Amino acid sequence: MEGTLHNLLIGFGHVFEPLNLLVLLVGIILGLLVAVLPGLTLVMGVVLALPFTYGMHVIPAIILLTAMYISGTYAGAWTSILFRVPGEPMDVPLLWDGYTMARKGEAATALGWTLMSALGGGLVAAVVMVLLAQPIAKIALTFSTPEYFAILFFGLASVVSLGGATLVNALISLFAGLLIATVGVDDTYGTHRFTFNVPLLSDGIDYLVVMVGAYGLGEVFLRLEQGFKSAPLQAMHQIKTRLPRLREMLAYKGTFVRGTLTGIIVGLVPGAGATVASFLSYGIEGQYGKRREALGTGIPEGIIAPQTAATSSVGGAIIPLVTLGIPGSGATAIILGAFLLHGLQPGPQVFATSSNIVYAMFASVFVGIIVMCVIGYFAIKALVRVLEFPEVIVSAYVVMMCILGAFAARNNIIDVWLMVIFGVLGYLFERFKFPITPLVLGVILGPLAESSFMTTMISYGNDWTIFFTRPISGPLMAVAIITLVYPVFRHLRHQSKIRRALKSAD
Amino acid sequence: MIGGARFIRALPYVVAGVAAGYLYYVASNFQFHERPGTLGPDFWPEAILVLMIVTCLYKIVSGLVTRNDATEIGGVLEEIVEESVEKHAAGSPLGKPLVESHPYLLIAGMALTAGYVIFIQRLGFFIATVLYLALFIMLGGYRRWAVVAAVSVGGTLLLLFFFMKVVYVSLPIGQVPFSAVTLFLMQVMGIR
Repeated sequence: MEGTLHNLLIGFGHVFEPLNLLVLLVGIILGLLVAVLPGLTLVMGVVLALPFTYGMHVIPAIILLTAMYISGTYAGAWTSILFRVPGEPMDVPLLWDGYTMARKGEAATALGWTLMSALGGGLVAAVVMVLLAQPIAKIALTFSTPEYFAILFFGLASVVSLGGATLVNALISLFAGLLIATVGVDDTYGTHRFTFNVPLLSDGIDYLVVMVGAYGLGEVFLRLEQGFKSAPLQAMHQIKTRLPRLREMLAYKGTFVRGTLTGIIVGLVPGAGATVASFLSYGIEGQYGKRREALGTGIPEGIIAPQTAATSSVGGAIIPLVTLGIPGSGATAIILGAFLLHGLQPGPQVFATSSNIVYAMFASVFVGIIVMCVIGYFAIKALVRVLEFPEVIVSAYVVMMCILGAFAARNNIIDVWLMVIFGVLGYLFERFKFPITPLVLGVILGPLAESSFMTTMISYGNDWTIFFTRPISGPLMAVAIITLVYPVFRHLRHQSKIRRALKSAD
Repeated sequence: MIGGARFIRALPYVVAGVAAGYLYYVASNFQFHERPGTLGPDFWPEAILVLMIVTCLYKIVSGLVTRNDATEIGGVLEEIVEESVEKHAAGSPLGKPLVESHPYLLIAGMALTAGYVIFIQRLGFFIATVLYLALFIMLGGYRRWAVVAAVSVGGTLLLLFFFMKVVYVSLPIGQVPFSAVTLFLMQVMGIR
């Protein structure tokens, strides 16, 4: 515990270095803008910031992306409450009570509850993150390749199962990602796999190219097809935030606790990020809240529940990223990408090899949340004004950043072509409702999954049952399979409910 | 009519399945020296491709047999979101926004992006990017010419400066005579 506090203090020391503090401030503002700007999503924003970190030292690079990730879970709430324009899918539940409150003339109060929810939920989750990370990493240090493969299998299974699409489409997306990861020269045999005599493909397809293309360019193509129509805004001059009093906040302590716990737990599960946390927390409030009947009529609980969960999911999601090297969402996948770009492999060893970087990241979460709320309180009016910025200009620059990001990775135009191909693929995925996150996580985690599987097979004489018979990997594989099968059961139960209801209606 | 709809629904899976089948053929012809008792480099991609083909076949068959998407198994998130939206949005004034479709705009945008990648080596980063940004913004329906000019020229100069001077990325200079423009700008900005 003392060691953790000491390391955290060193982390704060890194964050408070003038350059790093400036980077954090820039990251927070960029994250807030990304969440508000039409045509940009949180994940896109973090992807587009990645090329700017090429020339940076690893600590400011991680601080920049983490700061963007944190603030991206907050500012979308403003547009949801004020203009009925959810910045991100995670902000949709805020429409039901937040926008309703704004319509009743209580927009300032609604924004105040959002701010305090983000602050409270985010800070509690950050404390939990610091307390849990090292013990989990210590346990993970005892793992061998079967356990590691089981963890990866569980991570990928939950991404598929929890993803925002049908199970089959998520599976196809994941398989495509795993397949893309096999392109290049095989490490063990030196065999060229799917290189089709293109020399650049011998080095494999850079995951950055896939991420930038699928998340960035694909989204721009989709918006281009829709004709860049931004929602008209009203009442810009009335925007201000009224913070709730301590006594008012204590009246909703149950909602705060439920929302924060939901966010942390959901954040810990790979594949379930801020969106699941937000919707699930709203649902839990609807089940167990004191005023559950009034939910949706414009009450603070309808804001506190989704917002605490969305921001606290950040702390939860950083734990598996740092301790196991498994990103649970698009944004954490990109932060993992930044670690890898700087030659660092997150995982159990990272606390021994690069604890200063990890704790600087942890400290940046604390400082970032506070800075985000201060900026949010004082600069909301100015930041929301960017909504008036023409979406087509934002999108033109998004494309440009995608192209530069892909080109800068290896200074090769073929990477730009690959990025454009993945952009078209990303568009087709969106169009035909295939989720992109399993594809991206498949590309990133594919090599790790293959190497841990193949090493296990070599070590245990091709006995695949080893994954199910070892004390840690066995239960993990079982949980992974249950995770995969669960949506099928859920679906069958739902269908039988409908059939019963139809029968009784007849 | 229903048959046509079913075929369109099954089409992405047919394409994915056929592609997976071809890639399986490629994977089964990988050149390597076999080691007895050890899985080859073809095992992992082949296993993924088999799973992909099976998944596509399931989807094609179920898509052709069933009339609509009622039998689709949604991910947990999708179901949570759908349930919440159904429950809370029913009595709310929030209707589903109408989504327009402009396929020609999309095709033109894709062609413009491909054209940019083709011509950037010849025209150089500055000229190609100014043209691309201006054309893309106009394609999106924006018609304030002064803003278009300022955003495309000013933005390109900023990008050129940042990536060449700060991040040290060697952006395409272009071929003669276009390279003269980029070289001149590099000289002005003090980029070597």
